[in-house]
Amino acid sequence: MISNKTLSKLRKVLDPGRIKTDAISRSAHSFDGYVVEGVPDAVVFPTKTEEVSKIMEIASMDRVPVTARGAGTNLSGGSIPLKGGLVLCLTQMNKIVEIAPADRYAIVEPGVVNADLQQALSPLNFFFPPDPSSYSVSTIGGNIAEDAGGPRCLKYGVTHDYILGLEVVLSSGKIIRLGSRNVKDVTGYRPAGLFCGSEGTLGIVTEATLKIVPMPKARRTAMICYADLDDTAKTVVSVIGVGIIPAAMELMDNTVINLIEDAMQIGLPRDVEGILLVDVDGAEESVDKELAQIVEFARANNAKEIKVANTSAESDALWKGRRSVYGVLNRLSPTTIVEDATVPVSKIPAMIRGCRGIAHKHSITLSILGHAGDGNLHPCINTDTRDKSEAHRVEEAIKEIFQLAIDLGGCLSGEHGIGLAKSPFLPMGMDTDSREFLSIIKKAIDPCNILNPGKFA
Amino acid sequence: MLNANEAYNCGRCGLCLTTCPVYRQEFDETVSPRSKVQLARLVAEGRLAQSPQLMEVFSMCINCGNCTAACPAGVLHGPLFMRLRSLLGDQFGHSWTMRLLFHLLTHEQQLLLSARIARFGRNVIFEKLAADLMIGTIKLKNTPHMNREPFRAQMPPVINPEGAVKGTIVYFVGCATNLTFGSIGWAVVQVLTTMGFRVVVPKDQVCCALPLIMHGALEKARENILTNIRVLGDPDSTAIIVDCATCGSALRKEYKQALGELGHATRAAESLARKVFDISEFVYQHFDLIAPYLINTPEQPETVTYHSPCHLRNAQGIKGIVEQMLSRLPGVKYVPSKDSESCCGAGGSFCLEHPDITKAIAGEKIRNAKATGASFWATGCPGCNLNLSANLEAADEIRVVHPIQVVARLLRKDQ
Ligand SMILES: Cc1cc2nc3c(=O)[nH]c(=O)nc-3n(C[C@H](O)[C@H](O)[C@H](O)COP(=O)(O)OP(=O)(O)OC[C@H]3O[C@@H](n4cnc5c(N)ncnc54)[C@H](O)[C@@H]3O)c2cc1C
Repeated sequence: MISNKTLSKLRKVLDPGRIKTDAISRSAHSFDGYVVEGVPDAVVFPTKTEEVSKIMEIASMDRVPVTARGAGTNLSGGSIPLKGGLVLCLTQMNKIVEIAPADRYAIVEPGVVNADLQQALSPLNFFFPPDPSSYSVSTIGGNIAEDAGGPRCLKYGVTHDYILGLEVVLSSGKIIRLGSRNVKDVTGYRPAGLFCGSEGTLGIVTEATLKIVPMPKARRTAMICYADLDDTAKTVVSVIGVGIIPAAMELMDNTVINLIEDAMQIGLPRDVEGILLVDVDGAEESVDKELAQIVEFARANNAKEIKVANTSAESDALWKGRRSVYGVLNRLSPTTIVEDATVPVSKIPAMIRGCRGIAHKHSITLSILGHAGDGNLHPCINTDTRDKSEAHRVEEAIKEIFQLAIDLGGCLSGEHGIGLAKSPFLPMGMDTDSREFLSIIKKAIDPCNILNPGKFA
Repeated sequence: MLNANEAYNCGRCGLCLTTCPVYRQEFDETVSPRSKVQLARLVAEGRLAQSPQLMEVFSMCINCGNCTAACPAGVLHGPLFMRLRSLLGDQFGHSWTMRLLFHLLTHEQQLLLSARIARFGRNVIFEKLAADLMIGTIKLKNTPHMNREPFRAQMPPVINPEGAVKGTIVYFVGCATNLTFGSIGWAVVQVLTTMGFRVVVPKDQVCCALPLIMHGALEKARENILTNIRVLGDPDSTAIIVDCATCGSALRKEYKQALGELGHATRAAESLARKVFDISEFVYQHFDLIAPYLINTPEQPETVTYHSPCHLRNAQGIKGIVEQMLSRLPGVKYVPSKDSESCCGAGGSFCLEHPDITKAIAGEKIRNAKATGASFWATGCPGCNLNLSANLEAADEIRVVHPIQVVARLLRKDQ
């Protein structure tokens, strides 16, 4: 429990209206996109860096755990205050500070919603490439802390590729600034390397200088349907193998396709085994050429049906189902577990076959979608945690899926993070010395272990 | 015990935060739809106490339905929130304003009387004394005058068109048109009769009771619902027409839900719902009947923009239709406003309980609507109409109107 002494110190540095200790506010900040819950002792809403700094100073003096929170959409329990203490909510620090198209950067506060930044950039013909499917709601701070990726990261890279500079409040309350506004800058360690994917365990990001990119002139989308799931993976491998890098290559299997149709009736073919959604972007002349080549590869790999969108409205229509897929899966059962084990692209067919085998062996409901182009698959398991015997089988299956990914040269998580969900499996993907290296860094930066304790370790 | 079945479908993905007008203003998860769903679940599981503060949290909802529209898991927020409000309202009591409103809406005669008093206050006292008075954040002088006589009292029971009768329309006149926006009622009648329909205004119709339903005061709403189903259900009519998005959502959607919750049979409500159409939707569907009577393109086309009422778009699924209807009108240049589909922040009593939030939301809408350069801002909901016009500045040249008034203005004078 947080002491009254700590609370009264907090009230001196933060408008008391921004410190919530009532049961309702605490309950409202006890969950995120993952299944576990944890209730904080208080929720605080700072509005500027100095306030965050003072909060951290108090928290470190009084040894109060602090869990940062953006929109609370992460899927690994990263923003659950497992050990109570404070939830530090950054959603009200949501100003876009500066956009400098000529210098190709934007400076934002951490609570800025990804989509709001995109909307501000779009009239200037620029964009910020990381596009997690949650982009309409998730925050830049959360994107950084989870090193979020999204469909078009196949071509453009993930969040860490777009961090020029960060302002971070450390657990002591010290404010540090790493990087700068320059696309080229080699003074010191790269801030992205440390803080992207750190899940709030190393510091609180209070401002980010992001690299922005001119919008491609043209974009085409194709939806390719297959009777055999393996052929989707083969198409991905042959396209990327010859050096074509589409902006996105998304995969959905038959279960997912039918669930989307049930929910949204958007005209997806219900009888195919797999759909690849492919985006190409770039210059007007090159997109058509690339798309034609991709279509050729798809045909060679037995594609059954190919739909090409010529306008951006048609593209959006083809993408609509994919964008809503997580919620749609929730219609199937009370709990949906979305894994994101990732393998090298050439191993996708083996990974898909392996996952299906595991699901069959444990008789669980598993569907597969994912960012196939970069090997980042999302095997989704629908289950009811109240069924104990099934819960056990699901646990076993997940373990086997991780092992399979590792055996194929892959990793535990491509983008959703370790959080609570994957902490127990960390040893599978990292040996003792390497894990110790992480904890040395953590201890040096957060000696009292007050930043998001219980995660990632 | 609270039934919170809907909550178990929530996957906590958070996509409902995207378009929730209250969350987008507050950026505090506590008031988000996702949180309210979880809070309801915790109450049902006995893990969170019922309290006046909880009632306050659930009052932070405009009932716009954007959350339900955005929810890929198909969670029905409306009935869940309504049940919780009902539970909390029974226990901790509604505010006196809500109690008064409930009473008036269920007692037609007293409603008419208070309208008369209000008209006197508005037109006689207020004009002279209180030109700058505010209710909450709403400037009183921007509110419309009350009708001299209730619209329904001015109407003959049956109005016949000239020439051949193409069908009979039962016109459900909501409280707003009846008491305040009489000119909208006239426009509806004028357009429908021009199209060749006979218009019937049943005398015994009463308030649709949607405000009561939303606040979970179902028992109080029961009589109104049953009365309206009885008096509107003329088997020989072509359609039942409403000019108010909120009344339309009640007749088409909420009556069935509410009767179900009350343990009544819902068949009559369902067959009523099938015959109900919004006036703009109806004109769109039968555009060929009105087209010959519209004036040809005048020299100066009128620029019109649109605000899509949530109760039309989310509750009745009327999306893109009114916009198309407006675009088809000769002499209208339709320019969409960039946030035409976002909520205006009014939500019936919400704007009285949380005026600051409403004002901030409406302010943004007004900026975007003005940017279109339109002289008319069409919207088929009296709540939105009142809220948007009340928040306009005196110098603003844009005027809020009902889409049917835009149509009526274009009728040839020889009609
Ligand atoms: C429908 C849906 C689709 C998704 N699709 C994708 C996808 O395609 N790709 C993808 O990568 N992810 C995806 N996600 C996961 C999630 O949206 C991302 O991880 C996102 O980046 C989280 O952002 P958030 O603002 O919600 O952060 P939160 O969930 O609030 O927090 C995430 C983590 O970041 C920490 N944190 C938050 N803000 C800060 C800060 N300012 N400083 C330090 N630490 C901070 C938190 O402590 C927590 O550990 C999806 C989730 C959902 C629900």
